[in-house]
Amino acid sequence: MRSLLIRCYPARWRARYGDEFEAILVERPLGPFDIADILLGALDAQLRLRGRRATTEHERGFTMTLRIGGFAAILGAALLTTSIVLGIGVVGSVEPVVPGILLAVGSLALLVALTGLSAFQARVHPILSWAGVAVTALGAIVAIVGIVGIVGMQLFRDGYWNVMTMGVTATFVGSTLFAIATYRTAALSRGAALLLGVASVMTIVAGFGLGPIPLGVTSIAFALGWFVLGIHAVRVDRPATA
Amino acid sequence: MEPKPPEFGRFAEPSLLILTSLSDGPKHGYAIMQDVEQGTGRPMGAGTLYAALVRLEEQGLVEPLTPVDRRRPYRLTAIGASNLAEQLRGLSDFALQGLRQLGETQP
Repeated sequence: MRSLLIRCYPARWRARYGDEFEAILVERPLGPFDIADILLGALDAQLRLRGRRATTEHERGFTMTLRIGGFAAILGAALLTTSIVLGIGVVGSVEPVVPGILLAVGSLALLVALTGLSAFQARVHPILSWAGVAVTALGAIVAIVGIVGIVGMQLFRDGYWNVMTMGVTATFVGSTLFAIATYRTAALSRGAALLLGVASVMTIVAGFGLGPIPLGVTSIAFALGWFVLGIHAVRVDRPATA
Repeated sequence: MEPKPPEFGRFAEPSLLILTSLSDGPKHGYAIMQDVEQGTGRPMGAGTLYAALVRLEEQGLVEPLTPVDRRRPYRLTAIGASNLAEQLRGLSDFALQGLRQLGETQP
């Protein structure tokens, strides 16, 4: 009877408390009150452990990074696309500073997206995921140094231009690594990951002399890849699987 | 910001009784049950005891010690002692207010 009652508790509970619980049951004869109380206790333990599996703090944390990453990806993609459209003058002339600001804020949002979504995916491919974040973050810092140098310095502008180009290229390399991790993890859209990866590589190629139109097209494809990944991240609320 | 006091739902009363029982030293489960029954005149079932004990352990209010012959003693932690004192002060204030309302206390 005792072992039957103890078996009503979840295995994890029994592994921790089973021995000492049985020792108590041995100490005194079991009446109807005790049996009913133990069965209610077993039900409570079953419900508690089941509920905990579904909503552990750990899982909630990952869901939060997924949502933040998703919204940041959508925002960043929208700002990047707007910046490109304004920058190439499709909708008339605007102050050059406007697309510049949109590009800066959009890039920052994409950096947040990359970090949030990588935190979610790092459970499956930690090295690849965090390498993508590290390379992109390093590239962003180098690019900022280059931009500050170009704007603020009268001398060595060509040198700062090269620094900025290296930084921007590194951010696209980081995005490519992130796209590979996303494709391999398969927690988000593999199609969007493929689009982002191909667009990142093509943007690097276009940046080295293919002209503004191909660069604009590949950049918009890059933004589209982020946008679709962001939509998936916001809608998908499930743990990553290999 | 002050930490949120732990919530035990329908195990609040058993939890308070267990904490009170452990306030004079570590006890194993069966000793707690006997202590509670002696103090309140009502038995506490093993199912209720462990449902409350698990919650108290998770909240860090009690901690398990090394088992002796399969009986594992538990002891009050510093947080547990402070939580118990706070709960007892609250109950004491409540009881005094009730007695005052009944006119059974000296002014």
